Amino acid sequence: MTVTAATFEQRRRRVGLLFVLPALLVLAAVLGYPIVDSIMLALQRVTLTGGAIQQSWVGFDNFQRLFADATFQRAALNTAYFSAMEVVLVVLISLGVAVLLNHPMGRFGVFRILLIVPWAIAPVANAVLWKWILHANYGVLNGILKGLGLIDHYHVWLGTPVSALNFLLLVDVWKSVPFVALLILAGLQRVPSILYRAAYMDGAGPVQSFLHVTLPTIRSVIAIAVVLQTIWSLRVFDIVFVLTRGGPADATALLNFLAYRVTFNFLDLGYGSAIANVIFAITMLLAILYVWLLWPRPAGAKR
Amino acid sequence: MSFARRQHGGPLLRGLVVLGLVVFVVWSAGPVVWLIVSSLLEQQALISQPPDVSPSAFTLDNFVQVIAAAAALGKGILNSLMVALFSTAVSLALGAPAAYALARLPVPRANNIAFLILATQMLPGIAIAIPLFIAISKLGLIDSVFSLGFVYLSFNLPIVVWILRGFFLGIPVGIERAAAVDGAGVFATFWHIVLPISIPPLAAAAVFAFVEAWNEFFFALILTRQSAQTVPLVIAQFAGQYQTVFGQMMAAAVISVAPVIVLAIVFRNQIVRGFADGMTKG
Amino acid sequence: MTAVELRNVSKSFGSHPVCRDVNLAVGEGEFVTLLGSSGCGKTTTLNMIAGLEDASSGDILMNGQRVNDLSPVQRDVAMVFQNYALYPHMTVAQNIGFTLKMRRLAAADIRARVEKVAASLELSALLERLPAQLSGGQQQRVAIGRALVREPRVFLFDEPFSNLDAGLRVRMRAEVKELHQRLGVTSVFVTHDQEEAMSISDRIAVMNQGVVEQFGTPEEIYSQPASRTVAVFIGNPRIELFPGTVARTADGTFCRIGGVSLALDPRHAEGEVEIGVRPEHVRLGERGIPAVVRMVQPVGPATHVTLDWEGGSLTASQPGFVRLAPGSAVRAEIDPAQLLVFDRKTGRRL
Repeated sequence: MTVTAATFEQRRRRVGLLFVLPALLVLAAVLGYPIVDSIMLALQRVTLTGGAIQQSWVGFDNFQRLFADATFQRAALNTAYFSAMEVVLVVLISLGVAVLLNHPMGRFGVFRILLIVPWAIAPVANAVLWKWILHANYGVLNGILKGLGLIDHYHVWLGTPVSALNFLLLVDVWKSVPFVALLILAGLQRVPSILYRAAYMDGAGPVQSFLHVTLPTIRSVIAIAVVLQTIWSLRVFDIVFVLTRGGPADATALLNFLAYRVTFNFLDLGYGSAIANVIFAITMLLAILYVWLLWPRPAGAKR
Repeated sequence: MSFARRQHGGPLLRGLVVLGLVVFVVWSAGPVVWLIVSSLLEQQALISQPPDVSPSAFTLDNFVQVIAAAAALGKGILNSLMVALFSTAVSLALGAPAAYALARLPVPRANNIAFLILATQMLPGIAIAIPLFIAISKLGLIDSVFSLGFVYLSFNLPIVVWILRGFFLGIPVGIERAAAVDGAGVFATFWHIVLPISIPPLAAAAVFAFVEAWNEFFFALILTRQSAQTVPLVIAQFAGQYQTVFGQMMAAAVISVAPVIVLAIVFRNQIVRGFADGMTKG
Repeated sequence: MTAVELRNVSKSFGSHPVCRDVNLAVGEGEFVTLLGSSGCGKTTTLNMIAGLEDASSGDILMNGQRVNDLSPVQRDVAMVFQNYALYPHMTVAQNIGFTLKMRRLAAADIRARVEKVAASLELSALLERLPAQLSGGQQQRVAIGRALVREPRVFLFDEPFSNLDAGLRVRMRAEVKELHQRLGVTSVFVTHDQEEAMSISDRIAVMNQGVVEQFGTPEEIYSQPASRTVAVFIGNPRIELFPGTVARTADGTFCRIGGVSLALDPRHAEGEVEIGVRPEHVRLGERGIPAVVRMVQPVGPATHVTLDWEGGSLTASQPGFVRLAPGSAVRAEIDPAQLLVFDRKTGRRL
């Protein structure tokens, strides 16, 4: 059969493959190949000596090292704390912000601009900005807190382990809230306003209306926000690099940063890959959960 | 009380909302305002305790000095522009047809492919960085604007596909069928009908990809050395070198973020619709 | 000469059959309507004629030639879609001219033909507008213009009026019918509105669950429905059905419904049946079955009176306005010549 004699459906199928293929090839090169190779690398001893890469198979040695490596375990714990706190804080604050901006008084364009700006600021620029805000001698945070009488002397906010980790958390929460708020706001705006009218007719007050109409309808959006934010919190890198470089005393060496340091500072590419694989595995599980949340459910719909 | 008035709530609720909005504005805008103010203050004003924000302390000196002193910043901006434009253009050129096919054409397992693409977009950079670093080293393409832009396709291509797919799914089937009956093949339908009516989401996807590429730091750190350094690297280095010249540091940061912030503000509605909806609807 | 013919055409999506052994022959210049409720396969059938969907099996012929493997353009059909399906980014002129552009006609030719069609549809003043700037009726006209400009062999209409309000729908229906009378182009029309189908068609194919239940003129479909399904689908208010038993006696053939006997045509055999009575064949008067008025609904030209009687409920359609109070006793006379008798098991008309 010649090309011109193809039916509508046949032609669409053929062109469909043609349209998808280039993108899939590129993704295979920049995602597929590295993922597979990353797993292989984790099973090797890979070192950079004199600019040349040397590889030898070592089985699961790199993964076994993980269990004995106190730095890794510390990083894992720190990451768990960081991610858990970040998800809780970001989602709660974002929900509050979204509800505020969905209120008739919050529907000015200016507020939307305030949400989009922190997203657009480069993470590095954001980190540099906060480094300045948190500066021990001249930082505006110290100035304000002292001015308000909340502290009596200037603090080195990034100087002690617990404080440094929590300030990293604050910076990343600040950066992350706007976008998650936008996600939730989009969800809120999909709640049909007729539902609120119905709830009002049924005698529900604002709080009841929020609990029984708003929350149930945006439950799936919140679930998605939780999963996405967990994934995003696992790949925090830029602020660690600029603000603390993992210090003090490895308190802020989160897994992602640790993998970078092991690979590109200590040039232990195989072990770095093993750590990267751990992050990859966790992320993949979360991504599966995300896709499951998003997967189109048949709701009596037909096409 | 009418429903319309009730939506605003009683005085207590309204008071809480106003308070909440004030906190929100201070929280979101405060650091950004301080960024801009710092970039405009002279060094002496910045290092006094508390900082001196009297009108006489304001100056454009920091910008003048940064632009004069840091040739690296200009070079970085040029590199970032090339990387971002290259990666955005390729993402759109490959992503738009792929998204259309996955949304509308009878591609086998289209949904699975689409969701796989979405899932891979979530991967942390570190998971693919090491093999990419080795491969690009072996090819001798470290420190090249184009290899960096190509690597950026790993996150930009999926997100472009996902944003556009969401939009294409919403195009009425009738329009494509009408085009088929009117004699347009699949290519002609895509070119004459689908793309022209998709300009807003195409713009959103383009802005999104551009901003992500412009701001990216991790891959740039690993895959560039000198000649292909992008803006975030320059800023990070700057912050390391000129630790004490706070005003100039902030001025450099302002210069580096200004273009994308303008883009983001101009296209905010499309970004919100394209991305927020895309990430929360299947 | 048949312009469009379907021979044993079936279509299934996966394991789900949508059309089963559809046979249909549309004569040259004929106006045929596919009528049925949603999901009956009528739109799929139309799409297969258009070439927008492939038949799973069977043959589709146009002017005697098999066209299964031809694209919509090669079949030389034009189609008017549900929701108009206008290209939102193109002006009226570009919408109408798009098909000519795809055929690589010269710009001047396109312009001339577009203007001619626009004039015939009273769209000349709107040529530079975008669809969003038009009223529903105007958009509908553009959609028709887009089909007309091609001068195709066959027109296909997929529920074109379902988005219009009731008044406009009736007007557009008349316009399409006049257009067909003037141009005489073979047309296949899909609708779920039985009144629309009756008023516009030369012949109607009533579809149900992927099967053509009956293919005939509006009069045949109405007066001699092939099955209970067809009878129920056509006519407003709908036909009333009563289970009954046919018995032959020396006095003639009768159908017993409860305690009431109705005279039947002697050709009917004894057995279990269902009797269909259309409201317009019931007259209220001095004779007939005793009944009680339940509800009275005047609609203008007629009044629909719902009655309770021994067999259940029965609707009588009386001309003009009828003043009857609910609860009053009346007698309903059923015209025996107009009774429709269906086999109770198969639903086929006897």
